[in-house]
Amino acid sequence: MKRTYLGEFEEIVLLTVAIMGDKAYGVSITEEIEEQTGRSVSVSAVHAALHRLEEKNMVSSYMGDATAERGGRRKRLFSVTALGNRTLDEIRLLRNRLWDNIPLRIFSTLQ
Amino acid sequence: MNQSSDKIKPPKWADRLLEWFCAPHLLEEVQGDLYERFQKNVRVFGEKIARREYVIGVLSFIRPFALKREKTEEVSTFFLIQIMISSYFKIALRNLFKNLRFTTINILGMTLGMACALIIFLIVRHETSYDLTQSKGDRIYRVETKNIKEDHTYAGTYTGMTRALHADLPEAERIVPVLQYWGYTFSTPNTDKRFKESFVFADNNLVKTFDYQWLAGNADKALTQPNTVILTRKYAEKYFGKTDVLGETIRYDNKQDLMITGVIEDYPTTTSFPFNMIISFSTLKGTNPNFEFDKWNGWNDNHQVYVLLKEGVKAEQLEGRFKNIVKKYMDKEAVADKEFLLNPLKEMHYSSNMGGRTANIKLLRTLSLIGLLVLLISCFNFINLSTAQLFKRAKEVGVRKVIGSSRQSLIYQFLTEAGIITGTAIVLAILSTGITLPSITSILDIPIHMADLFAWKNLLFVLGLLLATTLLAGIYPAMKLSGMTPMWALNKNKMPQVRQVFSLRQALVIVQFTVSLVLISSAMLMDEQLSFFQKADLGFNKDAIITISLPDNSPAKLQAFRNQLVSSSQIKDVSFSFNSASAESNWMQGTEIRNSETPIQIKAQMKMGDSHFLDTYGIQLLAGRTLKDNDTNQVVLANEIYLDKMGIKNPHDAIGKKFYFGNSEEYGTIVGVVKNFNVNSLHQKIDPTLIQVVPEHYYQGGIKLNNTNLSSDNIEATVAHIEKLWTATFPGQVFEYKFLDAELGRAYQSELRTARLMQTATFIAILIACLGLFGLATFIAEQRTKEIGVRKVLGASVTSILVLLSKDFLKLVIVAIVIATPVAWWAMDSWLQNFEFKIHITWWVFVFTGLMMATLAIVTVSFQSLKAALINPVKSLKTE
Repeated sequence: MKRTYLGEFEEIVLLTVAIMGDKAYGVSITEEIEEQTGRSVSVSAVHAALHRLEEKNMVSSYMGDATAERGGRRKRLFSVTALGNRTLDEIRLLRNRLWDNIPLRIFSTLQ
Repeated sequence: MNQSSDKIKPPKWADRLLEWFCAPHLLEEVQGDLYERFQKNVRVFGEKIARREYVIGVLSFIRPFALKREKTEEVSTFFLIQIMISSYFKIALRNLFKNLRFTTINILGMTLGMACALIIFLIVRHETSYDLTQSKGDRIYRVETKNIKEDHTYAGTYTGMTRALHADLPEAERIVPVLQYWGYTFSTPNTDKRFKESFVFADNNLVKTFDYQWLAGNADKALTQPNTVILTRKYAEKYFGKTDVLGETIRYDNKQDLMITGVIEDYPTTTSFPFNMIISFSTLKGTNPNFEFDKWNGWNDNHQVYVLLKEGVKAEQLEGRFKNIVKKYMDKEAVADKEFLLNPLKEMHYSSNMGGRTANIKLLRTLSLIGLLVLLISCFNFINLSTAQLFKRAKEVGVRKVIGSSRQSLIYQFLTEAGIITGTAIVLAILSTGITLPSITSILDIPIHMADLFAWKNLLFVLGLLLATTLLAGIYPAMKLSGMTPMWALNKNKMPQVRQVFSLRQALVIVQFTVSLVLISSAMLMDEQLSFFQKADLGFNKDAIITISLPDNSPAKLQAFRNQLVSSSQIKDVSFSFNSASAESNWMQGTEIRNSETPIQIKAQMKMGDSHFLDTYGIQLLAGRTLKDNDTNQVVLANEIYLDKMGIKNPHDAIGKKFYFGNSEEYGTIVGVVKNFNVNSLHQKIDPTLIQVVPEHYYQGGIKLNNTNLSSDNIEATVAHIEKLWTATFPGQVFEYKFLDAELGRAYQSELRTARLMQTATFIAILIACLGLFGLATFIAEQRTKEIGVRKVLGASVTSILVLLSKDFLKLVIVAIVIATPVAWWAMDSWLQNFEFKIHITWWVFVFTGLMMATLAIVTVSFQSLKAALINPVKSLKTE
């Protein structure tokens, strides 16, 4: 089965969008990822990833409302699409299956 | 807290950079996010770090997704178009260079056609731009006088009109009488600068109605006083060498000093009112005491009255006013015969006017048509040659189509080729027009300058011409070539054989030759008519006659002058008269023959001359006696036409018959009858004419020289002799002389100009048509090389091959002759209607032009055919 490929960062961004619910936009996603992963992420990288995800129909977006600290500019709010959800599910299933198939001996060393 | 952080802004340059490179549809969210991040950083890390972070953030957005503009397709086609355009040009240039011969023929033909169109446009634009810039122009009209019975409208009107209009035309804002005089001497006091000038008398209303730029003086005060004058800049410099001449005086006719009260800027070339000197109307009272200011019985075209109508008044509404004027001021008979009309200012250039330059709308239309035809011919050349190359291009088109080229891009490809040719041609056309313009304008006597060539309106026309010819010439070949199916284009097949009487290509050749033929035969007939004018028997002898003006016609002076003149061995005879035997301005007089119950009214032309008039001009006396110098004005000679009108057949019967001047009781007696002579130009019939002796109306001297074939040195000596005597007789005057035959030739100047234009256009049209034919013949000979080779191998002679190749073209020329002959016949017949005396159109003109064109076509074609026929078949068959 042909499936859309998701890069590691894309996957993280997509997951973060799913976590954030209806508050997912550039800055909030960046901060969330920084918080969750502890690594420093640039806004532009997040934007690029979101852009790609949107092109792959994993997320959809709409323009939200403006705030003063944004200089009166609106934010683009993202949400995961059905395709995005399914892809995340499939990735998770695949990973789970792979985990399940790891021999116990190795598994324990990993533990 | 919000407030304090709000004041801190990210670096401006970074913002600008972002706004510049970021795609507009992404800018808002991106910039918003960066701002939000910045504000937070300010709070957490302080301003410095926040700013640094902001710059890094902006720079990190320089990546493809942010740079890419929204409609991705548009961006790509934009680049594509650029690539395609350069490809079009490259391919087009390659093709044009490959077929250099055709390209040259095309460019040459197009250049000629466009130069022709350009020059004609310049002429037409010049002639149609007269007096259009007057700010009150749409309200200025000329009061013209119409003779209802003659159905002729005259530019001039009665001198009484001015007063009548003041009283009876309340719709007029200003009334502007203008009186033009010619040939008076002006001089500056205390110098010997003397010039003979033409000038006008006008009052203050003239300068208030028409636009003038004042260098000195002003419109309110100028021309209000008698003996004042306005000069143009040119004339101020001519007489005084400076323009600051207010208050200086200039002497008029050696009699009256005129004070200069205004200096105006020179008039533009495109005006029918080229007045260099305007003298106040009231001056006339002192200088010309005989001038009648309120005259209603006779007028002259040099007295014209203009009116400036009030805003919103329409000229058509004023018909009734003028009817009233006729009733109120003129006698009963005038009511049925006289009518006054208002002719708008913009029409002045197309009827007789004071500038002397007139244009003929019909001629301008014909000219435009000729320009268009010549242009069309050159476009047809292009179409012909391009479609002829269909075969050569078929493979290219086929390959392009197979690869996936759209029809549209193929059309662009071919249009680009057409565009390059027309573009090159137009540059060459402008250059050649620029080079030839001075000689053209001097031949045609049109004041067009180089600046007109580069006026923006003209450049606009050039641009339009470029687009129109590119489309006209390019669209058909483009459609035709791009419409081929790739299958047969690549299949090496012949063109699908469609049975047609004439292919389009042939039809175009026919059109070209038809146009050329019409032009040639018209030019030939015009030429014939003009030489007819030169050689026509006028009924008098115009050769070797010098005319001079007479500033003073007191009998004693004239008698002395005459005696001096005839004592010269070179001079045969001298006559003093009102005008020459044939002249442009004439004295018309109504006469009545009251033999029967209803008097016969005859409008006669009055010739006033002395006893030598007949001898000097070589007019033949048929019956009765000649005039004597002591005859009164009641003794006249009549011409045959006058006798016809009287109803008298035999000249001898007319001797002693009486006629009355108009409806008065004054009468005259016919003492002699002269043979008809052309008193007018050959455009008009010979008027009934009476010759009488009226010494106070002698304004001109005619001097008949002894020998008609004088060398130029001899003529110069004779003229110098005459000048010496003249200046001695009329001191303080400027001597001017004219040769009668040259003077009479001026009447046919406009025809001469038309003929010259026609000849030039004809020449160009033929050249272009032959160029096209040459190209086509070249192509066909090239295409049939192999066929000719095979024929020659099988034993065909060179002659038979020549015939084979030429006969197709000859067929076309013959068809063209058949079409052109009736068209040219009709066109010339209507042109000849302009003349009372004209040639008959003879059939041989058409035979001759037909033969000429056929020969020309054969020569053009056989040049190529011969080359093809002479080629060694081994060569032509060997190469594939």
